[in-house]
Amino acid sequence: MGFKITSEMIDQWGGSFWYKNPENYGHRLYKLPEPGEKGGRPGGDEGHLFRMLANIIRLKNEGKMEEYLLEVNKLNQTFVESPANQVVPLQDTFDMIDAANGPLIAMMCLCRKMNRATEETSLWEYSCLGIGSAQLKWKRWPERYRGGVEYLTPSQAKEWMDYWDTRGMVHILMSEGIGAIAGLCNCDYPDCIAIRTRLGYGIDPMCVKAEYVAKIDYERCIGCGDCISRCQFGAMKNEITVKKANIDPYRCFGCGVCQRVCQQKAINLLPRRSFPALREEW
Amino acid sequence: MSGYMEITIDHEKCTVPFDCKQCLNVCRSAVFMVMPIKVARGKETDKKEPGTFQVFPFFIDKCTGCMDCVKICPVDALKVKHVKVA
Repeated sequence: MGFKITSEMIDQWGGSFWYKNPENYGHRLYKLPEPGEKGGRPGGDEGHLFRMLANIIRLKNEGKMEEYLLEVNKLNQTFVESPANQVVPLQDTFDMIDAANGPLIAMMCLCRKMNRATEETSLWEYSCLGIGSAQLKWKRWPERYRGGVEYLTPSQAKEWMDYWDTRGMVHILMSEGIGAIAGLCNCDYPDCIAIRTRLGYGIDPMCVKAEYVAKIDYERCIGCGDCISRCQFGAMKNEITVKKANIDPYRCFGCGVCQRVCQQKAINLLPRRSFPALREEW
Repeated sequence: MSGYMEITIDHEKCTVPFDCKQCLNVCRSAVFMVMPIKVARGKETDKKEPGTFQVFPFFIDKCTGCMDCVKICPVDALKVKHVKVA
């Protein structure tokens, strides 16, 4: 009965690299709902989804595994109607910034605000990028975030994403439903609720794997291990006597954070769909 | 004998959790979540006003029972116990 993201689902969201299509940038979010039309994302408001998640964690904690698995499946089915979040390596975030063709803002991360009470108050502390015309709302409501927001040009946004990439953050796109990409986050474990709910409770649409997967080039890898501590998904190990890093391709999310730090250029990001056995591993 | 952890927070005592944030920061497993419970449209909630934010245990399955949060809480609002299941 286990729930699994399939390529077919991603095709429904707009196909491979759906995030490179300008059509998918939340412009419809800026439209007021027609009379009688229900706004918001499918499955209910965020508070409702949060309560479902809290219940799932409680069931797991108390060891009520049958009920737990039923509720996990229910939440997954709810989420899959609207692609929630997908991992995107740095180069593709640049393509997204170009495709968005609309306002870009740096703002505080809501996950860290909730999970660690972090208060990010300036550009190089902000770790979340709001994308698309919905971001114009901050002009209308400047008081909404005391930390403020900063509007960026595309080249400033790329420089800022690159900064977080050097610090080892995973980039995850946030969407509010099909055709409604609304942000790009810089994420790590445990303070990213998306990564955490996927790894901890199997809520897969919260953090779908990238279109890529990392592979070690054995000719180049010297087994220094610099990459291993960077992996936020627990996919990397040090194979001590072989003197190589080891990546579990079934656990790899294709974020490229390991590639960035490799001095030997021994890590390649390859298309996930080019491996017959990984094509359906999302 | 197995069991699980249970955390309770006395919200009468814990009134400004987003301003205090000690349990949120000390927890190695990042079990807690803090959220505004009074939201005015278009305005940031004031973290220093008592009762505007509430902290609650969320990722409770990750609690180890180390008691760091109980020890650090300045208003003695936290209780952590191990519930035994036969």
